[in-house]
Amino acid sequence: MTFFRPGPALLGSLAALVAAGPILAVAWLGVTSPWDDYLTHLASTRLAGYIANTLIVSATAMLLAGLIGTLAGWAIARLEFPGRGLLEWALALPLAVPAYVAAYGWLDLTQAAGPLQTPLRESGLAVLTSWMPVVRGPVGAGFVFAVVLYPYVYLIARQAFSEQHPDLQHAARTLGASNWQSAMRVTFPLVRPAVIAGLALVAMESIADFGAVAHLGAPTLTVGVVRAWAGAGSVADAARLAIVLAFFAYIAFALERQSRSRARYGQAQGQQRPTERHALSGWPAGLVSLACLLPILLGLVIPLARLGYLAVTEPVARGVVPALLNSLLVASITAVIAAALGLGAAYAIRSGTRLGAFSARLASLGYAAPGAVAAVGALVLFAGLQMALDGLWGGQFPILLSATAGALVFAYLSRFAAVAIAPSETALARVNARLDDAAMTLGASRRRIATEIHWPLIFTGIAIAALMVFVEVMKELPATMILRPFNTDTLAVIAHNYAADERLGQAALPSLILVLACLPAMILAARSQSSRRSV
Amino acid sequence: MNRLFAIALITVTAAACNQSSGDDNVVNIYSARHYDSDAYVYDAFTAETGIEVNLIEAGGDLLIERIRTDGERSPADVVITVDASRLQRAEEAGLFAQTDFSALADGVQAHVIDPDGYWAGFALRTRVIAYNRETVDPSEISSYLDLADPRWQGQICIRSSDNAYNQSLLASIIAHHGEQAGEAWARSVVANFARAPQGGDTDQIRAIGAGECDIAVVNHYYYLRLAHSGDPATVELTDRIGLIFPSGNTGTHVNISGVGIAANAPHGENAEAFVRFLFSPEAQRAYAEIANEFPAVTGAAYDNADLRAFDGFEADTLNISELGDNAETARRVFDRVGWP
Repeated sequence: MTFFRPGPALLGSLAALVAAGPILAVAWLGVTSPWDDYLTHLASTRLAGYIANTLIVSATAMLLAGLIGTLAGWAIARLEFPGRGLLEWALALPLAVPAYVAAYGWLDLTQAAGPLQTPLRESGLAVLTSWMPVVRGPVGAGFVFAVVLYPYVYLIARQAFSEQHPDLQHAARTLGASNWQSAMRVTFPLVRPAVIAGLALVAMESIADFGAVAHLGAPTLTVGVVRAWAGAGSVADAARLAIVLAFFAYIAFALERQSRSRARYGQAQGQQRPTERHALSGWPAGLVSLACLLPILLGLVIPLARLGYLAVTEPVARGVVPALLNSLLVASITAVIAAALGLGAAYAIRSGTRLGAFSARLASLGYAAPGAVAAVGALVLFAGLQMALDGLWGGQFPILLSATAGALVFAYLSRFAAVAIAPSETALARVNARLDDAAMTLGASRRRIATEIHWPLIFTGIAIAALMVFVEVMKELPATMILRPFNTDTLAVIAHNYAADERLGQAALPSLILVLACLPAMILAARSQSSRRSV
Repeated sequence: MNRLFAIALITVTAAACNQSSGDDNVVNIYSARHYDSDAYVYDAFTAETGIEVNLIEAGGDLLIERIRTDGERSPADVVITVDASRLQRAEEAGLFAQTDFSALADGVQAHVIDPDGYWAGFALRTRVIAYNRETVDPSEISSYLDLADPRWQGQICIRSSDNAYNQSLLASIIAHHGEQAGEAWARSVVANFARAPQGGDTDQIRAIGAGECDIAVVNHYYYLRLAHSGDPATVELTDRIGLIFPSGNTGTHVNISGVGIAANAPHGENAEAFVRFLFSPEAQRAYAEIANEFPAVTGAAYDNADLRAFDGFEADTLNISELGDNAETARRVFDRVGWP
């Protein structure tokens, strides 16, 4: 574990600063490029609409995802009911569904020409179709993001719920609180930082998304960014708008930090006691099982089943197997490195140094930039590095950086640093600083504290970080498209190419395999959690 | 953990050094298209010439940015994208080498070749007007301008103005009739919307089937793909829908799938061979038969009865490079008239 030796805070901060490179390159582009009148034109026409849509989409997504994720996390951590073991990891699966895939599926299903409204109209019940909701517009987009992104909240919240010491509830009960009161005043407030950390990810991913909002007719600022890109000011205006987006993300983080600063949530966890789960039976048990099944239906089964149905009449997608191998390779490599990055950044934040917190926040902002812009940031960064290298080499350096798999992994890391940092940070934040003090008093080195005290306590958090990054990389599009080596497809690229050609049926198979490929990771994460509990 | 980290690093480095060094008999293609027809054409090209095809497929704007930032180091030989105004932007970014397309592309209609010689269209896509055969008399619509008629209020389905084909359609109207007339047209069409824009072109066609609208503006090959789907319900849907290839005013708006040779192409000769192949009878046939696009080469042979039935439409002969010249104006007009 020499990794921690030179001071985890400093290493973590530096790593985070490097990961922030592309977003800094975007900012540099925005500031140094010449200005024209595009932004004033935008301000006088569509900017307000873009911002309003951005707010509605992200607010809807956060509200629904927060609700689903928290309740599901609580039910899995605290209740015993039929199917719990299965649902524990299955609830995380919708995360593997790219938002645009869910959007295509849901719009196709619910629109007037879809299989829900058509039979009604044909049987003379056209009146009924007028009140049938169509998944479109900003609220529809918010719904789609909620059902595929709630696992962020769920994964982090479940962890927090199951680590809560049962004595807290016992104390509340002793003081005469009802079940409901103890839940509302002890259980839920204590997991708030975890829920908010998950919500920050939901907010950022939903404001940075392009495919789903463009398809559902809910143009957010990201759509504006992509459109500006095609415009006269080209990349510069896109970069400037992306900076506005990063500002939104900054607000999301500020909210999170504020909520955490109000209270310290550290708990003494010297000896982890298995959380007591309340066993349900009869109809309440069935009801909870069904309720936990619902988000999986909404985020995974229904949209994919719709696409799968369309697949029956269409030819099979090409090149799925090599794409699967490519996806697994880049996602695994990135996940491992990202977990290390997240851990380093979490220590940087914990150290309390300004540099630590600043660099970690900066690195996280990359997540809120539209993927395409983040990819361009990486390109610009590599172009600069290449020039420096060629200069040092005194000619053309033999390797073109932007054409390497390393560039791709770096672009992923910078884009998903937030995903890696958030779970590690929450995990580390729950480790009481007094444990460090106690160990220090006993003469333990910093390294021993990290390996023997922190590591066992935070391992699950790190595993979740790696899992989330794995899934994100499996789904990632713009950076993959533009930085991948020749003749290298991933599942997400194939699925997107078919969907963009409006061949939804053919997009179904790669999407489905993408989800299946994420299964082992999900099960592994669930296992690592339960095995640790029995230690 | 340390060991894992080391393994990951080694793997990444190994993968990084594994790139081909560019001395082989290859052609590096950056394409924004991903149709089955293209895969067929690449294979046929390799079979005929022995030149291997290296391929990167990504969005047109991303491709342009990649080649621009790679600069002189760019491995790109050939750039393929759809929509003329994107090609124009690539040209303005200095990505293309001037090419004598008259030598490479024998028989291609003059108006789909860039007058400066930087790029040319190898397949044509028309933006046409789909209508419900039961409710619309096609003789009442002979040009895009007719869509602005208030009689179609609440009856038109069309995609968002983010869509490049809509931008180019308006750009052509602006090129012919000026910005003011274009703005008035767009404003009136917005007033005729049946619903806020959503989904793709296929969704607009299906919306006619569901009775949400009577008229939709779509690219012709989406209609043909549905008609050829083999699914009885979908085929029945297309039977109820007709396509108008406007012949009045300035004719049918044509856009292209286009190609240019990269300014810093490391395999220039192979790039020329590939471009020549794109205009060969075999490739032209593939685009018409597999992708339902009209061949750019006049009189190219193909076997696609439904496409053939539409061929011979009155094409707008405006030079295709004018679309790019007016695209930015078109986007701003869309912004001003509130076309989402």
